[in-house]
Amino acid sequence: MTAEEVIKVKHIIQTLLKAKKNIRLYPANNPIYVKTINDTFVVFDEFLNYKDELVLKIKQKEIFYGSDHVYHNPEKENNFAFFFFKDGIRELSFKKGLSKHELEGFLKSIAVDFDREAIEDDIVTLFWEMDFTNIKYIVDESFLTEDEDFETKATNEIKSKVPNVDTFMKAYSDAFNAEDVKETSIINITNEDLHLLAKEKENDLQDKTNKLLKVVLEMILQTESTAELENIYHTLKDLIIYSLENKNLPVFINIIKKAKETAENNVTPDNVKKQINLLLSSVNSEELVRHVCKILESDIDIDENFLNEYTEFLNRNAITPLIVVLGELESIHGRKKVINLLTQVGKKDLQTLAKGLSDSRWYVVRNIVYILRQIGDKRALEYIITAAKHPDIRVRKEVIWALSEFKSSSALVILKDYLNDTDILIRKVAVKALCGIGSVDAREVLLNSVPGKDFLNKELDEKKEFFAALSNWKDPETVNFIIKILKNKTFFKRLRHNENKACAAYSLGLMGNKDALPALYKLKNSKNKLLREHASAAINKIEHGT
Amino acid sequence: MVHKEDTDITRIAKDIMNQFAIIVRTARIHDPGNVAITTAIDKLIAMANPAIDSSGALTFEFIGEIFYVNRMRVGYSMEYFLNFAFLMREFKKNGLGSITMNTTLKSEDVQIFLKAFISSTFSDEPFNALMDGVAHINSFSVGPLQKIKEEKEFDTRKQVKKIYYNAVSYTKEIMNQIKSEKKIDIKKAKRIVESMVDLILQQEELLIGMTAIKDYDGYTFYHSVNVSILSVALGHKLGLNKKALTELGVVALFHDFGKMEIPQEILNKPTKLTEDDWGMMERHPFWGVRAILKFKGLNEISVRAAIVAFEHHLNYDLSGYPSVSIPMELDFYSRIVTLADRYDAMTSTRVYARIALPPDKALSFMIEKAGKHYDPLLIKFFIDMIGMLPVGTLLLLNTKELGLVFEGNATFPDKPRVLVVVDSDGKKIKGRVVDLTEKDGSGNYLRKAVKTLDPNKYNINLAEYLL
Repeated sequence: MTAEEVIKVKHIIQTLLKAKKNIRLYPANNPIYVKTINDTFVVFDEFLNYKDELVLKIKQKEIFYGSDHVYHNPEKENNFAFFFFKDGIRELSFKKGLSKHELEGFLKSIAVDFDREAIEDDIVTLFWEMDFTNIKYIVDESFLTEDEDFETKATNEIKSKVPNVDTFMKAYSDAFNAEDVKETSIINITNEDLHLLAKEKENDLQDKTNKLLKVVLEMILQTESTAELENIYHTLKDLIIYSLENKNLPVFINIIKKAKETAENNVTPDNVKKQINLLLSSVNSEELVRHVCKILESDIDIDENFLNEYTEFLNRNAITPLIVVLGELESIHGRKKVINLLTQVGKKDLQTLAKGLSDSRWYVVRNIVYILRQIGDKRALEYIITAAKHPDIRVRKEVIWALSEFKSSSALVILKDYLNDTDILIRKVAVKALCGIGSVDAREVLLNSVPGKDFLNKELDEKKEFFAALSNWKDPETVNFIIKILKNKTFFKRLRHNENKACAAYSLGLMGNKDALPALYKLKNSKNKLLREHASAAINKIEHGT
Repeated sequence: MVHKEDTDITRIAKDIMNQFAIIVRTARIHDPGNVAITTAIDKLIAMANPAIDSSGALTFEFIGEIFYVNRMRVGYSMEYFLNFAFLMREFKKNGLGSITMNTTLKSEDVQIFLKAFISSTFSDEPFNALMDGVAHINSFSVGPLQKIKEEKEFDTRKQVKKIYYNAVSYTKEIMNQIKSEKKIDIKKAKRIVESMVDLILQQEELLIGMTAIKDYDGYTFYHSVNVSILSVALGHKLGLNKKALTELGVVALFHDFGKMEIPQEILNKPTKLTEDDWGMMERHPFWGVRAILKFKGLNEISVRAAIVAFEHHLNYDLSGYPSVSIPMELDFYSRIVTLADRYDAMTSTRVYARIALPPDKALSFMIEKAGKHYDPLLIKFFIDMIGMLPVGTLLLLNTKELGLVFEGNATFPDKPRVLVVVDSDGKKIKGRVVDLTEKDGSGNYLRKAVKTLDPNKYNINLAEYLL
């Protein structure tokens, strides 16, 4: 081996180490991933064009090229040599003709984090499955069994059963009268057989969890002892977790459905029923709820019917876990699905659901308010009200919308309070909510707010919101109230009053009430620009609809 | 992004070989100028030429029982099963090891090649005849079938033995681990089975041959390995891919884990089993599921293994045990393992079944139960796999020599390799291996099997001769 070759091989090892890291970190569509594959291929290609083959001897802590060290690491952790050595690889060779595709397969295999990923293969199995053409490896299989001498012992043992030599001669003499060898094969495999086989293989691709479920349910019915039953119960629970870990909601639903059917079956013994009911109640546990919610958050398409079926299995015990998980989910679509679940399950126990209003995370509280609003039960109002003074305006906003749907007098009292909220946005939303309620009482709340000193000092925007809301009533009382404001003559705070008038004009325009025209015409030529503009706009709106 | 030439070329090669088989088959019926053949040739050219252009040349090699294209293994799906089996026979018959398409093909050249290929079959020296026939065309060249050297064969046999006993040793270990309630290392099981799969893909007869030796103590361990080997071999015949074969092999290896719960005194009872003993035996599928799930936890393989452990005595028509109240169709792997399990059990001497059946009798019994105990479709493939003269069969040859089948022949099932133990003068000799495919100078076979006998009847220790 020349010194130059050794340098090149050392460079290849370093490139492999870098690639191992990059391939683990980046997805296949990432430019760094692609560059890593290309760069590694270039170093291999260059070497193999020069030497035809690269053979690396693997020791526990070292890698040799010929008799030269090309890698050494005294530590066991992150040791590239030990990575191969521990699974039995003693030699690795790369041959000329190595393609980029093969190299990528090799790099993907060595990039697997065997310590962290739940993988049932070792590096040799991964290589084996890759079926490389130009990458070969020599494996020491002796560590697979503890008894190294087993072969010799077994062979000697069986050979020691020596037969009587005469039996052969007896066979020889019998042979001439023995059965003739059949001339043709007994079985003929037809195209139809192949067709059927192809179908069988296609059917075999289905998930096997449901099949194992059938087996386990059979076993439940045939249990002979409580200990056995206990074991099967755990199996069934494992099966549930397994289906959820595989993100297979339909299988999970099927398991609980079948378990329920078994529990409801008259022939099922009582102790079995008891165990199954225990299992069914675990569907509401935080562990299982969390698993399901993770599936809901993933991008797997889930049939609404499955979700509906799942909801039917949930009881009030699932409410708290659902709330806990709701606060942990990161995607909007995941949260939406959990909210839908809580809307269904929450009906079963409003009090437990309302406990979510004390959650420290504002978004959980907002979601619970939303859920209570969706449930629409009048009893929910008393819980919603408890969140009315929540420090986060997003929660208060949600409370306002919820209150607007309840339309009760107690809701109006809270909404009235919101008109004095410290945040303008909340005050404006409260006005809109009152407008949405549309009742005489709601109108009264708005009308009573206008004459006050506080109202006069509000920003134009906010005032406009009030008058826009009032325009929805259109009854004489409201119209007269607004016209009265329009005609109002004041000497103090004239600018502020003019703002009120402009808003009143705006409101009358929205109403389209012709009775307001005389008053509006009077203001059309007002010296106050704001008033003039709003009056003209209102006239146009009433007369021409524009 | 990453190139995929390798996989593309093997895929194209598969189509080309299938098309070539179609042409040869059609040419056996029609004249080479017939439109059915010329159309098929045009199709072959359309498939092959782009691949030849991009690769420079296409070399199809037949090594062991596997086809390679440009040194890459060509797998095949079930739709090509019959045509690939046909090509294997044709290559072997003609002593042909490789065909190289050197340059882009022309219809005339393919016709010449085809003519030479067909006519060479009738020659005493088919390969030479084929070589002469294609000598004047540049687009094709052929190479002879490489005989596996004796030395290499010896190494392979050693390797087969090593892998077999490794598997038995491992099975013994894990079964003992189950008894002492330790977790099973499935990675090791996979590695063991992968070695078996490799051997079956290369030369399945040798490993299947190991299952013929049945007189070991510790029946359950050997039986588990035998069932695994036979299942993988059947899976291979059914066209399962390497990964699926490993899964099947592991599942089969675990199928009798439940027996570890049966007391040794029942398993080794020399007298007839009582009703209670049978009751216990019939619980082993149930315990098998429990053992697998308890000591492994759930994953793709353990789910499958548990199903197979439960179903392997259930029978195709569910008439077996344990009885089931919910109607179910047996899992595909269960149906495979059932065949392997029953065949190995029937051909073995067990404590409670002292008389082992010879393979052909066992297969006959199994055929009778096709559709009842066994899948009627899979049993056909199983019988085809075991062959007419499985390893260990005692044969009288037309030369009046007595011998044991030493190694099967997948292509010519009636022409295995035979270990002669009594010569034509009726004298017992130290075994020598003869190949029934060997011919004399006039092209006649030197030997032919004429009679079969059951080696168990004569208490012959196969291990002494086959190991």
